[in-house]
Amino acid sequence: MIDSAMTETDIQLMFCGSAGDGTIAVGDIFKRAMAEAGFKVLAFDIYPPEIRGFGKCISRVRVTSRQAYSLKHQSDILVSLNDSYAIPHVSEVRDFGGVLYDQAPISAMAEGEHISGHLQPGQLPYGVSMREVSDQTTGGSKAKNIVALGFLAGLYDMQREPFHQIIRDKFKHKDPIISESNLLAFDTAYDEGVSTFRLDFIELGTPERQDIGSKVQMMTGNAAVVRGCLDAGLETFFGYPITPATSIMEDLATDLPMRGGRLLQTEDEISAIAATIGAGYAGARAATATSGPGLALMVEMLGLGVMAEVPSVIFCSQRGGPSTGMPTKTEQSDLHLAVFGGAGDAQRIVLAPTNVEGAYKCAGKAFEMAERYQTPVIVLLDLYLSNRYETVILPRQNPFEADSSKKRSHQERGVPYHRFSFTDDNVSPRTVPGEEGGIHTVTGLEHNELGRPNDQPDMHLKMSEKRHNKLLGALDHPGITIQKRFGDEGKVDVGILGWGSTFGEILEAMLVAQDEGISCSAMKVVMLSPLPLQPVQEFFSDCREILIPELNYEGQFANLVGSAISKPFTRLNRVPGVPMRVADILDEIRRLAAQVKSAA
Amino acid sequence: MGNLRQPVYLEEKLEQVRESGRLNIRSKALPTWCPGCGYFSIVDGVTMAINQLQINQKDVTVVSGIGCASRFPFFLDTYGFHTLHGRTLPVATGIKVANDDLTVLAIGGDGDAFAIGGAHIPHAARRNVDITYMVFDNGIYGLTKGQTSPTSVLGFTTSTSPYQNQDRPLNPLLMMLSYDASWIGQSYAGDPRHLSEMITQAIAHRGFSYLHILSPCVTFDKTSKTYSNLKAQVRNLPDDHDSSDRMAAIGYSMDVDTPPIGLFYKESRPTLSDKLDLIVDKARGRNARASG
Ligand SMILES: Cc1ncc(C[n+]2csc(CCOP(=O)(O)OP(=O)(O)O)c2C)c(N)n1
Ligand code: SF4
Repeated sequence: MIDSAMTETDIQLMFCGSAGDGTIAVGDIFKRAMAEAGFKVLAFDIYPPEIRGFGKCISRVRVTSRQAYSLKHQSDILVSLNDSYAIPHVSEVRDFGGVLYDQAPISAMAEGEHISGHLQPGQLPYGVSMREVSDQTTGGSKAKNIVALGFLAGLYDMQREPFHQIIRDKFKHKDPIISESNLLAFDTAYDEGVSTFRLDFIELGTPERQDIGSKVQMMTGNAAVVRGCLDAGLETFFGYPITPATSIMEDLATDLPMRGGRLLQTEDEISAIAATIGAGYAGARAATATSGPGLALMVEMLGLGVMAEVPSVIFCSQRGGPSTGMPTKTEQSDLHLAVFGGAGDAQRIVLAPTNVEGAYKCAGKAFEMAERYQTPVIVLLDLYLSNRYETVILPRQNPFEADSSKKRSHQERGVPYHRFSFTDDNVSPRTVPGEEGGIHTVTGLEHNELGRPNDQPDMHLKMSEKRHNKLLGALDHPGITIQKRFGDEGKVDVGILGWGSTFGEILEAMLVAQDEGISCSAMKVVMLSPLPLQPVQEFFSDCREILIPELNYEGQFANLVGSAISKPFTRLNRVPGVPMRVADILDEIRRLAAQVKSAA
Repeated sequence: MGNLRQPVYLEEKLEQVRESGRLNIRSKALPTWCPGCGYFSIVDGVTMAINQLQINQKDVTVVSGIGCASRFPFFLDTYGFHTLHGRTLPVATGIKVANDDLTVLAIGGDGDAFAIGGAHIPHAARRNVDITYMVFDNGIYGLTKGQTSPTSVLGFTTSTSPYQNQDRPLNPLLMMLSYDASWIGQSYAGDPRHLSEMITQAIAHRGFSYLHILSPCVTFDKTSKTYSNLKAQVRNLPDDHDSSDRMAAIGYSMDVDTPPIGLFYKESRPTLSDKLDLIVDKARGRNARASG
């Protein structure tokens, strides 16, 4: 390795090709090898919506010594596994970055079809013999992606061992010959890469040293949700497949029964939430996972969960909408539905994690909150967060409470049971079927303390107050950050308020703006309902200008905040189906900062 | 809904129950049904069955949808969940998946079951969820005051079919037979003894039991499924009907003019919980092999 012990690593690779080229697979090996080598990784793949065929796949992997918040708009290297797909992305390679491509494609290409003709001045061409090395080492062209990886690793002078390990692991269920020939392909390309080129314009640097004994893991947002569910002691799960939430159910289908839990694929989302609420009523920790169209089907049941005060946890990973919308594209446009969806005044808890570690935390805490406040809790993710990989350090000690429910006290037992008794914190002690002395019926009808139907105005008012006020307790729920401010402290020129996965791009933009000397800070809001209004208000009064960037057309979070705060602010809305560009946020920050300066 | 001008009738009803020694299973709430509604005798049937099977009330959970029939849980002193229109079965499934030890009764009207809730029935049946599903079929929407239902007969006049119902009614028993319910029976609110016997059997069956109960809506149906009409039409299934013979059961289910009451079909097969337990065993086996 180059002598660069003190160098901070920050490189971003982009693999582009068709589904048949093993594009996603090679990106996966790369990011796993980097995580194995001790680097921090943030990676996001873009697939074509079609299952079959040869649609375009892109795998972007950012490798850093300290955890990054988002992908960069510009990559350092573009690896082309299919020139016609990769050509439009050449512009996403930074100045003095490189493009790695097959210099001798088997078919003679017409003028202009070869990527080397599209490089911009300053970009470096790395033509390598991908197909040739693949043929020589494996007897076919299928290992082209592994060859490209070998060249790349050689160019950067990366350690081979992590790559060997991941490649072996990848092929461990296949004939050993396949594994061996792929390793050979990798090594041959690696040696050639080392001898032919040197990316001397980039130093890879060394990974940041980890705390001794802590285990860094690389996982997606959905995988983190699964881990959170399991650590929180999930007992039952009911779901109906829908992109991008499906992998939550798929992983739980394997893992939950290993812990004695039960999973059922229901006939639709209405049944999924109905069974979740049934199981919650019976005292089990229960959850379901869906996306916008499924959540739309669930809202009537959510209302029942609110009215009957039954715990349930709903994961909703947003995709482009409305309707079937853009199933494989990311968006943040289900906030209105999650926070307000349904009949009547049906307030519930909504949590929106901003990164993979947050997804783990929110998933586990959602069960505590659902039980403690006897309510549905929606955890709002999006495709970008569900599918992106990050290296995370999970706590060694399980951070979640096994039982957070409010039980009847000793004196309360033996007296007639009032399921919906009025209490100081507005949460009534709860019994579950099978419990002696706690018999009661719950209903979606308005009811009295006993749970008997009652539609008198006084009762409806008192019960409405109870249902709303009990949720305020969640604002102080222990062990979870429901909002946080970053960047400059005190009064600043520009404040950026954000939620969900877009907060990563917001932080990256803020850091650049700070470097440019702009006084700014950013606040993330994790709990969207009930909204932590006081800190948000304080943030508004500390910032001369406020910017709210989000991936939706209507400005749904801005609407939510705007309905509670009268001070004007600036919206930044984008609906490209992919993560927001850091540069877009940065431009707005600069513009607002200039505005403040010129007004001063 | 209806009129409650005859409290004497309710008192008499309660007196009868009191005498039968089953009053402890009844809750203190007075039923909100119209005097004469078929549903009263179903409450009796259920309390008798729970009594006879000696199930502890705390272990019974009654789940219902929305409708007159679905008011049922309020009138029993057991755990109860009055859910949403049509969603009885998935909620009941969730409860059973969470706690096998509970006796779960699912209850709904014909609209709740076969109109809005129709999509759930085949799945609860084929999974063989160990619950007892009782549909009170009055061929009309009672709670919303008399509209056409999926089991309303052809030519029936209601507020939403002022020019008569033009659609043929569904055949719930035939559906259940093809949905693979593991216990299928029919009874009639005008025959309390038969009713309680059938409910007892249905609850005792391990697996998904479907009991179809013909029950008049005295307020909104004066012509079709009335006590006198039903009394004249209903007959017992022949003694020699073999309840393991699905084809014979299908034959009887098609007789809608003189509906047979009794046990149509019964089979013994693993319940949903059995299957979920098996999955746990398999998962643990695989896990043990992987780590061993
Ligand atoms: C989603 C929804 N749609 C409609 C209703 C109104 N509604 C209440 S009960 C009912 C029909 C009741 O008929 P049935 O299920 O046959 O029961 P019955 O009252 O006859 O016992 C309807 C349409 C509702 N409560 N919820
Ligand atoms: S079903 Fe008919 S008779 Fe029975 S309570 Fe309802 S409206 Fe009254």
